[in-house]
Amino acid sequence: MQALDRRVALAVVAAATFAVGGAAAAQSAAPPDLTGSWERYRGPAGDATNPPPESQPPLKPKLLAEWQARRVAEREADARGEPLATNYTHCIPDGVPSMMSGPFPFEIVQSASQVNIAQEAYSQVRRIYLGKPQLTLADIELGFYGRSVGAWRGDALVVDTIGIKDYVRFRDVPHTPEMRITERFRLVRPDILWDEITIEDPEMLEKPWTVTFAYRRMPDYEIIEYVCEDNREYADEEGATRLRLLERPEGP
Amino acid sequence: MARIINVAAAMLLLGVGVPAAAHHSFAIFEHSKTLTLKGTVRSFQWTNPHGYIDLEVANGPPGIDRYTLELTSINMLRRAGWKSSDVNVGDEVTAIVAPLMNGQQGGLLLELKMADGRTLVPPVPAINTFKRTE
Repeated sequence: MQALDRRVALAVVAAATFAVGGAAAAQSAAPPDLTGSWERYRGPAGDATNPPPESQPPLKPKLLAEWQARRVAEREADARGEPLATNYTHCIPDGVPSMMSGPFPFEIVQSASQVNIAQEAYSQVRRIYLGKPQLTLADIELGFYGRSVGAWRGDALVVDTIGIKDYVRFRDVPHTPEMRITERFRLVRPDILWDEITIEDPEMLEKPWTVTFAYRRMPDYEIIEYVCEDNREYADEEGATRLRLLERPEGP
Repeated sequence: MARIINVAAAMLLLGVGVPAAAHHSFAIFEHSKTLTLKGTVRSFQWTNPHGYIDLEVANGPPGIDRYTLELTSINMLRRAGWKSSDVNVGDEVTAIVAPLMNGQQGGLLLELKMADGRTLVPPVPAINTFKRTE
């Protein structure tokens, strides 16, 4: 019951916070328009729009040791030419927040009540509801994109996401169902967008973990469809990646 | 010649400094040697997450009579200027490939020379890390 109480408490806080944010936005000027296509971008060294370098996840010591051991195992498997299969090998999409990490472009479509982000890779779509309260975890089925609500706070779109499935992991970092992701989207220049992503998961992380990605506008770029249709790379029984040499059979 | 892909430009398009392996590891392929194979295209599979070209190889190295070429995602190919009609069944081609490390008849396509003089380069992330030996 304790965990449930905490979840309800978190949800109440989140709902209250976003209700306040929504009211503030209603009084202020029109929010910036993020509509359009974007791609990961890093400017020349020293460019003020370059976000801080990505930090190592502040996992609790035992979890961090396990995470680092998996990185070593990955490097060893790569050196053998037998990279460990990942979700991608099985055509499983990134989910939130990995789908914000590139390298494929994404498209933002913004209205007064909703912001949709369509990631080209795997045709992933996340929907951010503006001015709606967040639900409790008890009312959400865990998934790839969770449930996102947002509000404009000044010139930043602040997005709250909960409900991410266990194996939908950012940088392979484990998390509990209680993981909460807070994002701040803002234009640092008219054509450079930042997404400052803060992950909170007190059971796993020593402190909130913030990673920031920068994107640049792709004027007139139209997102191309992407269906993970036939990966001839596959995982063998040991979980190592192999390449199927047989051609694809005719027909669907 | 517009289809000759400028690798530096392709990397810029991806964003310098973006982890190349964010989506996919190319570690199943040799980074220390390449093969140059002449062959006839049997099929060009225009699909995600990778395109594939299957070749019949004539007078290839011992043990190689056909070969599967892995390409990048077709979305990356499109952004780099490729079309599904660029390569057709029956085309005589010369492929520079980073072979599979397990020695099977497959590899990563680094460059494709067409009989009409075109050179097609897939936008492989960190393509310069594949050392060319032949």
